[in-house]
Amino acid sequence: MCSFKRKNLNKHKGGKRVKTTVSKQGKRGKVISWGFLSPSLLGVLLFFVLPFFVVIYYSMVDNPINNQFVFFENFVRVFNNMAFKQAAYNTFRFSLVAVPLAVLLSLLLAMMLDSKIPFRSQFRTFFLSPMMVPIASVVLIWQVLFHYNGIVNDALSILGTGKTDWLKSAHAQIVIVILFLWKNLGYNMILFMAALSSIPKDILDVAVLESASARQIFWHIKVRYISSTILFVTIMSLINSFKVFREIYLLTGNYPYDTIYMMQHFMNNAFTQLDYQKLSAAAIMMSIVMVIIIGILFLVENYFGKDMEE
Amino acid sequence: MKKRMKKIITFILAGAMIVSLAGCGGGGADKPQEIKKDFYYVPENRKLDINSNYIEGVVAKDDQIYMYGNSWDEKSGISVGTLYCYDLVNDTIKEIPFKTDDNSSVYKMLLNKAGNLMMILQRYEEVISEEKMIDVEASEESDEIVYAQEAAGEGVVAETTIGGDDLYTESVEFNHYIELIEVSTADGSVMNSVDITAVFGNNQDFYPQYVATDANENIYISDGNSCIYVIDAGGNKLAEITLDDWVDGMFSSKEGDIYIKMWGAEGEEIRPLDLNSKKIGNAISAKGLLERSNHYNQRYYEGMESSLLVSDSTGLFTYDFTTDVANDMFDWLDVDINSDDVSEAGQMSDGRYWALLHDYMGDEAEYYIAIMKKTPASEVVIKEELVYGTIWTSQEIRKNIIDFNKTSDKYRITVKEYQTDDYTSGIAQFNNDLASGNCPDIINLSNLDFARYASKGVFEDLYPYMEKDGIQKEDYVENVLTAYEMSGKLYGIIPQFYIHSAAVKSSIAGDRTGWTVKEMLEVAKESGIENIFQYGSRMSVFYYCIYNNMDEYIDWETGECFFNGEDFINVLEFAAQFPEEPDYSDEESISSKIHENKVLLLETSVSSVQEYQMMSGMFGEEITFIGYPNSEGKGNLIQPTNECIAIAAKSEKKEAAWEFVKGFMSDEYQDGLVSEHANWGFPLKKSALEKQFEMDMTPSYYEDMDGKQVESPKTSWGYDDFQIDIYAAKKEEVDAVRKVIASAERTATSINEELATIITEETDAYFKGQKSAKETADIIQNRIQIYVNENS
Repeated sequence: MCSFKRKNLNKHKGGKRVKTTVSKQGKRGKVISWGFLSPSLLGVLLFFVLPFFVVIYYSMVDNPINNQFVFFENFVRVFNNMAFKQAAYNTFRFSLVAVPLAVLLSLLLAMMLDSKIPFRSQFRTFFLSPMMVPIASVVLIWQVLFHYNGIVNDALSILGTGKTDWLKSAHAQIVIVILFLWKNLGYNMILFMAALSSIPKDILDVAVLESASARQIFWHIKVRYISSTILFVTIMSLINSFKVFREIYLLTGNYPYDTIYMMQHFMNNAFTQLDYQKLSAAAIMMSIVMVIIIGILFLVENYFGKDMEE
Repeated sequence: MKKRMKKIITFILAGAMIVSLAGCGGGGADKPQEIKKDFYYVPENRKLDINSNYIEGVVAKDDQIYMYGNSWDEKSGISVGTLYCYDLVNDTIKEIPFKTDDNSSVYKMLLNKAGNLMMILQRYEEVISEEKMIDVEASEESDEIVYAQEAAGEGVVAETTIGGDDLYTESVEFNHYIELIEVSTADGSVMNSVDITAVFGNNQDFYPQYVATDANENIYISDGNSCIYVIDAGGNKLAEITLDDWVDGMFSSKEGDIYIKMWGAEGEEIRPLDLNSKKIGNAISAKGLLERSNHYNQRYYEGMESSLLVSDSTGLFTYDFTTDVANDMFDWLDVDINSDDVSEAGQMSDGRYWALLHDYMGDEAEYYIAIMKKTPASEVVIKEELVYGTIWTSQEIRKNIIDFNKTSDKYRITVKEYQTDDYTSGIAQFNNDLASGNCPDIINLSNLDFARYASKGVFEDLYPYMEKDGIQKEDYVENVLTAYEMSGKLYGIIPQFYIHSAAVKSSIAGDRTGWTVKEMLEVAKESGIENIFQYGSRMSVFYYCIYNNMDEYIDWETGECFFNGEDFINVLEFAAQFPEEPDYSDEESISSKIHENKVLLLETSVSSVQEYQMMSGMFGEEITFIGYPNSEGKGNLIQPTNECIAIAAKSEKKEAAWEFVKGFMSDEYQDGLVSEHANWGFPLKKSALEKQFEMDMTPSYYEDMDGKQVESPKTSWGYDDFQIDIYAAKKEEVDAVRKVIASAERTATSINEELATIITEETDAYFKGQKSAKETADIIQNRIQIYVNENS
């Protein structure tokens, strides 16, 4: 639109002189845009791109003191390390269970709250409240609940069940999945509610007039419209699933029960042991997997949400 | 095409972001900026030509320091006090003709506005109250002079002396007075004298610890308890202010206000004292002052530009109450002063700073004045910097650093302390420095996991340096050197060491010099003891069993561990027999318990032959320093008395660093560690160690009344209620100590604290009866397996 007007303007003014003015304006515009962009660009370079290369460098040296180049040896060592395998398996298993649950349950909650049910705003506040609880309090609550002498065991003992050491047994990952969902459902739910409310009402009305079933409306209209939000929520949940280390660490320390030993434990312990090369190799391997997963998610979203974008 | 490019860039940036997030914490740490100073404080040392051994009161005004010194007169057997005035500008000292009587001594001194000294004196008055004769034959100790305290009342001492064949007892009572006197600084004349004993409620034990004066010349006196007495210049009592807690410090500011440092609800607090209301005010915001309150040896003086001038164990700084800002002047180390030597400090009218320093050599002390002048950097010869990195700096190393700095023309050592609120963050900071290539040149590794760092190549091999300088490994206690070896390379030097161990009666230990857990459990069961230690709890007994023994349950080759095996469960069950909490109400002494075979072990150190003699005496029979259970039966651990010094492999000044480290191996240094009294450790060099042993075996004598040489105790030692006089050591005792030293091969820091933490965390539930031994062992196995997997 803008260029059209300019073209017309140029016609009126005509000649070389006007062309020069446009070129100068364009250059000036570019300089201004780069000027505005440069702080964030510098930030990205300094805090993301540069550390990225530092991590690559560390992954290929024997240790941060000697700095002897060993090429891919660290990757081979890390890949063959039993603790790394255990951490990768646990993290993968946790994400595989927790992320779909976080997406589906929050979508379900959003759908529920989107319909006209009583106490909507109270429910919304209830599900959002875990976001406001500081991490130290979250950990304290979970300890009170799932400690060997905690409330859950006390409650179960009333039913005649023996005590379970929830955080130091095979059940530990279930506790962490519940903790993850409790902490993240509210945020995801809000995102879905926003996406659902942005679906054009006329399309939904037309669908109802066309005698579409609720299932059809959900799958063919709502899911399609909110596909980009589903992708975003999935990516965010995936990232958050990696960050669940923080809660686990505060609950169980550096070396937890093996079922909740995550990738971040492996890396954190490598850091404290000054094994930066191990840490960097593991970080790169983990990031490659994450890039692949996110790439796949983009493709899926492209496939399902293509027509919506058009 | 453009769209594709955008996508590619987006992916790269996303990837970069993910890697950065995934590897958070591992990024390159920033290199601290090297601060170029515009000026330096240059010290000038002046020896004080005084005859006093000990200086008590020191005050300064108008570049004059007034000091009250005491010296012991051997002939008269009394202490002689002398008042000095030292002129800081002209470097002259003169005696002020002021004398106290024999029974008086100066507690504290202040200067009033007229420039006269206000002295707080204590005076004793002898009152002979009783005299009686004792039949010599009735006394078993007739050939000794016996001093005995008699609990008949305060200030009463009964002195028993020999007089021919009869023994006379004199009961002498002392009355204690406190006086305030005004002394002219011009001629030493006493201008005024007031007895102020009544101000303190005639308390005969009152000792004024803190004294300050306000703008109105009122004097505030505290004995460190929770009461402050205020008197005017005439000695009249103005107030008695009672506090909730003890006084940790009292000082006046430049503004003439009085402040109290004391412990409050949120830690150390500074509170103003208001004489009008006769109350102490609320805590003021003095963050700048309090954040350094953990530094010891703090002294407060009225400032010239700021409210206060403060001297502490680190350095000298000014503090202003109005801005709550502390400004560092200099670190004592930077001006080649050992902070332990600083008696007093102050500022001269021309801005220079002064410090009164003492240097003790046995019972004698020499006093110096150091003048620190602010000098532009252009006028100072800047030496190359060698950085000494440490968690904590001992006085011993401070002394050596100062000596090195004074003698080296080219290098100057500065100390970088990784001392923060907690040990972990200090280590994290050290690790960051290592990774960023900002590693100190010289490292104190006595608090570090030496093996972990050595395996990363952090330290330089010291053997080539020793070889180059003709220092023979054989000349040093080899097992102590090799304790800091890895793959034949020496990574650290302990100039002085002791052995960390546990002692048991040899009659119980048998021929063993060390034991495995299994053997220890068998012996404990057979000997029928009540407890392993005097205050042994389940946890302490368990910790003793596994402390030096964790590797026994781990096969690092295969990456397997066996903490859920029968052996480990047996240890858990054994420890569970003992009390859950130590019984501190049990007042029976350790020596009695050992004699009666109620306890098996005494966790202790062997730092000298004298300590060994004391242990032998306490056990009452031959003892074995068996140490901590270990699969190889080698349970004694080597511990540095002060530092273990290493050179950073990445240092660019390794030769200079070696010059410093080498000093600790020299004959001069090692021989200096030899001491008549136990010196908390053995010298590293064999020749010095032999000299120490020889000294330990050399008897001391005194001449009795008949002129005979009688062996006297070299010193006396005590443990709990046990006291023993230490005489010259026998050869067998020295040989036993030699054996203990030779038996130690590992350092105490080689214990894996991470594993110890996991184990003790889990055993708590078992010892409280919440879990079975098998369940506990399974969880320990599970958690430690991860650690082993990570590190194998």
